[in-house]
Amino acid sequence: MQIAIASGKGGVGKSTITASLLYLLKDEYRFVAVDADADAPNLDLLLGVERWEEERELIGAKVARINVESCIRCGICQERCPYDCIKVIDGDYVVSELTCEGCNVCGLVCPVPGTITLEEVRSGVVRKTMTRYGFPLISAQLDVGRPNSGKLVTEEKEWAKKLMGELGLEHMIVDSAAGIGCQVIASIGGADLTILVAEPTPASLSDVQRAYKVVQHFRQPAYLIINKADFNPGFTALRGWAEAEGIPILGEIPYDRAIPRSMSMLKPFVEAFPDSKAAEAMREIAERVREEILK
Amino acid sequence: MQIAVSGGKGGTGKSTVAINLAIALKEHYDLVLADLDVEAPNDHLLLGVELASEEPVELFMPRFDYGKCTRCRKCAEVCEEHAIITMRDGTPFLMPNLCSGCAACEIVCPVPGAILPGKKLMGHTYLTETPYGFPLVTGRLLEGEERAMPIVSRAKKRAQGLGKELLMVDTAAGTSNTVSKALEDSRLIIAVTEPTPLGIHDGELILKLAKLMNVPAMVVVNRSDLGDVGKVREIAEKYDAEVIAEIPYSENIIRSYVEGKPIVLTDYPEAGLFREIASRVVEFLGGGE
Repeated sequence: MQIAIASGKGGVGKSTITASLLYLLKDEYRFVAVDADADAPNLDLLLGVERWEEERELIGAKVARINVESCIRCGICQERCPYDCIKVIDGDYVVSELTCEGCNVCGLVCPVPGTITLEEVRSGVVRKTMTRYGFPLISAQLDVGRPNSGKLVTEEKEWAKKLMGELGLEHMIVDSAAGIGCQVIASIGGADLTILVAEPTPASLSDVQRAYKVVQHFRQPAYLIINKADFNPGFTALRGWAEAEGIPILGEIPYDRAIPRSMSMLKPFVEAFPDSKAAEAMREIAERVREEILK
Repeated sequence: MQIAVSGGKGGTGKSTVAINLAIALKEHYDLVLADLDVEAPNDHLLLGVELASEEPVELFMPRFDYGKCTRCRKCAEVCEEHAIITMRDGTPFLMPNLCSGCAACEIVCPVPGAILPGKKLMGHTYLTETPYGFPLVTGRLLEGEERAMPIVSRAKKRAQGLGKELLMVDTAAGTSNTVSKALEDSRLIIAVTEPTPLGIHDGELILKLAKLMNVPAMVVVNRSDLGDVGKVREIAEKYDAEVIAEIPYSENIIRSYVEGKPIVLTDYPEAGLFREIASRVVEFLGGGE
């Protein structure tokens, strides 16, 4: 089974909850964890990963380059670039490597053959390790300024599938990125179901509603975990929304200083502070995941 | 001129800093705030306003006139996104989800009119008046669409078009090229981070991007009592950035957030911290009224 964990909004505790859920499920189930937030991967930090066993460079991003020698400075490339990535610097037309999407429109419209070329560059790395908890983790790190394409996530999931075959694992648990773009679509697409994480604030509600639309697009069941459940007592709209949409709530985790403290210790909070109220809530959630999802 | 509020990790309080700083800077500049976190735009919620003046962001999407198409396959060959597939006889088909709207296919098509300019809705931009004396421009990607770049680009243009003295952009988390697009042309980046290992890790990446883009950066440490600020300072120093503020974890900030009243306008002591950040920014930029 493939489970995606998403939130729409960053910083609501998706990765800390994922790390603790993995910790609570590790003895009973055989799974591979995938950190699909290639832009800001954190699961390795939360699981205390110190080294990667294997790393693969991902070449695939493309950027355009303009040869100043043969450029006749007609400016057509700048005019036609769909993303405004071409600037004039000291009289020369220059492609901004940090914003180029590699579509090659500039190369196609350039009247001087060979002046604009599309070059392959590294978009990041995909990497694998065995965590100290006994399950493997696949992660990725996008290089700064590269398009955050879902390709990196797809690459991660391919590797995870291969590992499942090799090691006889039953499940893949994907911690997706914030937002609703490319990498989130690649995370949720292909999953059997998505667990949404949100906190009771208008911003989180707005973002999780958007993530849920992506889940609906893939016609998947969704579940909800409410984090920092008690820090905004007057706000009932999150719960109300889940009930109206028929999204089962797996549980609520209260705001608990044990969570940020466990982050500094680089451990899942259920391991670092097993007696905390957050850990207690998390164990109940894991129980429901066992009963209702993994069965 | 333009400044940016960014920060590697999500949920560090970027938007909280952006809206409070915008309110404080309004006393010094005629400004516009642009929310370029198009996958999860929230500044309007924090400012307590409803998005207004919606404009669609439509991208070019090829439509094939099969009566004119010669099945030469050039369109498919040139598509970097492999969004056009061809049948055995060369008949092209578009997979709309993969299309980036770059129009490369139309440029290479040798038969005029064989590729028609269809359109695909990717999202919207909004221009909303706020009760704080400055307008807010928001970009919002449509759910199910993958490409944030065109929305970021269009929202930024809309904000630039207002011709204000200061454009303040609030970026998405991370350091991908949509963040670079938002940061582009900034005179200053305010990187919001947390002193946790995660915040430090991601904070370093945004400072690295700022360096690559040649934009000076200042660091604001949010929830500064949740970790070791010394470590943030070390990283900041490595990238020639200065830590200009430390904001402790604050119930008051949460309360003001929940009440929809920006903290900088309250009597809570935290208001002073945001005014201090604003005065450092004014000092750096010079001028203002």
